[in-house]
Amino acid sequence: MPLDVAAIRHEFPIFERKIHGKRLVFLDSAASSQKPRAVIGAMMHAYMHNYANVHRGLYTLAEEATAAYEDARGKIARFINAPDPAEIVNVRNATEGLNLVVYSWGETHIHAGDRIIITEMEHHANLVPWQQLALRKGAELAYIPVNDGGELELDALPPLLADGRAKVVACSVMSNVLGVLPPVKQVAEMAHAAGALVVMDGAQAVPHQPVDVQALGADFMAFSGHKMCGPGVGILWGRRELLEAMPPFLYGGDMIRTVKRDHAKWNDVPYKFEAGTPAIAEVIGLGAAVDFLNAIGMEAIHAHEQEVVAYALARLAELPRVHVLGAGEGAHSNPQERSGAVAFWMDGIHPHDIAAILDTEAVCVRAGHHCAQPLHDRFGIPASARASFYIYNDKDDVDVLVEALHKVVKILGR
Amino acid sequence: MSSDLYREQLLDHYHNPENFGVLDNAQVDIEMDNPTCGDMIHLTARLDGAGRIAEVMFEGQGCVISMASASMFTEHVKGKTLEEIAAMGLDDIQEMMGGVKLSMGRVKCALLPLSAMKEGLKESGGVV
Repeated sequence: MPLDVAAIRHEFPIFERKIHGKRLVFLDSAASSQKPRAVIGAMMHAYMHNYANVHRGLYTLAEEATAAYEDARGKIARFINAPDPAEIVNVRNATEGLNLVVYSWGETHIHAGDRIIITEMEHHANLVPWQQLALRKGAELAYIPVNDGGELELDALPPLLADGRAKVVACSVMSNVLGVLPPVKQVAEMAHAAGALVVMDGAQAVPHQPVDVQALGADFMAFSGHKMCGPGVGILWGRRELLEAMPPFLYGGDMIRTVKRDHAKWNDVPYKFEAGTPAIAEVIGLGAAVDFLNAIGMEAIHAHEQEVVAYALARLAELPRVHVLGAGEGAHSNPQERSGAVAFWMDGIHPHDIAAILDTEAVCVRAGHHCAQPLHDRFGIPASARASFYIYNDKDDVDVLVEALHKVVKILGR
Repeated sequence: MSSDLYREQLLDHYHNPENFGVLDNAQVDIEMDNPTCGDMIHLTARLDGAGRIAEVMFEGQGCVISMASASMFTEHVKGKTLEEIAAMGLDDIQEMMGGVKLSMGRVKCALLPLSAMKEGLKESGGVV
């Protein structure tokens, strides 16, 4: 069923705002999404009626807060089809989740001479932690290339797995720049056959499409609440036996079972990885965001965004000077899906100027390297402009974007 | 960001920059970039006998703000002493650019030529 975008927009108070007297066209949800009343309300309710620290108090309020916090963990687990809520670790953001894997699992299991495989389309969050781990350990960091069509060159993976040195493959489920959905399920099958673990960056995919961590064959997946209508909180999911065998990442309160003067024992998962007071209201807010997205339907959201992105690609192709990143010839007979985001550059016009002029039309896009410098290097450009789409965007927004890009050419395109 | 950022004065400098090129026998010869946005400038300058900036040229690529700033900068700093260059900051650059008020995100673009000049003078042994 098509999305009722007008009704959805109505759920987001920010769309009551005008920017420079014009309707807000928000095309930067890949950076962070807007928040619906349901999420803002759930957090306000938590603070006004059920707030206390979790897992500690023996009074009614603390028990209610703990129940709400743990109830949200269950919702988040079901949202990605995690078999066990204890596999859901609440962290600050996807970046922290990925760092947890690197510092805990990586420090223990990566040794000199091992190979860490990532892709050219990784966000810095799933790149720099691995790069630095490789440097610390004397391990090799290998990249699966991206072709001119913006697609992952899957053929490059088997040779990297063949000698048995690969211990982990870290791969984005959806590129934050290209909007491409690489074949992560096949990546996982190949990696597992070679004895390597698979760490998936779900920051872009989880907000935009149904994600089933078991069906995809992930060992770990990190994602961010703030990109899926929720507040600033992140989630790391990991297979229970992996999490249980890993040392803690942060030490302190709540993550311990017993503490003696000279040693300590750790709490069970996930609490072993949730040192200190967590972001209680934020986790509850993310639970509300999950309810909100489920009510719309993740299949419907995915279908809607593919339609909007396909329309955006067609409209951008009409414009002079505009080039879409990864729109060249792909090497695959089955094109990899695109959704959510389109990055582009314009001949002779800097992306900062594109974004600044679009802002005068109340169109919000990101300009820069979008935390993916190696990917921009691969395409030979320092930066791009990116329009990203979510449940509150439609083809009208694309039309406004295209009109505003004509204005960019008019002002700067001498 | 206000729409008057792309006022005619800045666009003229962007499309038809002053002193675009490279000076021979320059005491200051430096390349600098803003890696996060891809602005790049190659700045060359000669000093006169009294230690003042005599001539400045630049080449590079970047956004309207960085390139217009560089173009205006090459005229603006002629005759200035090294101490005067050292004392320059964002306010001076904004004033030089016709009183434009830059948002946080664009400050680094506008400051690129000044930063390059300060660094270039330092490298050349000038006291800045």
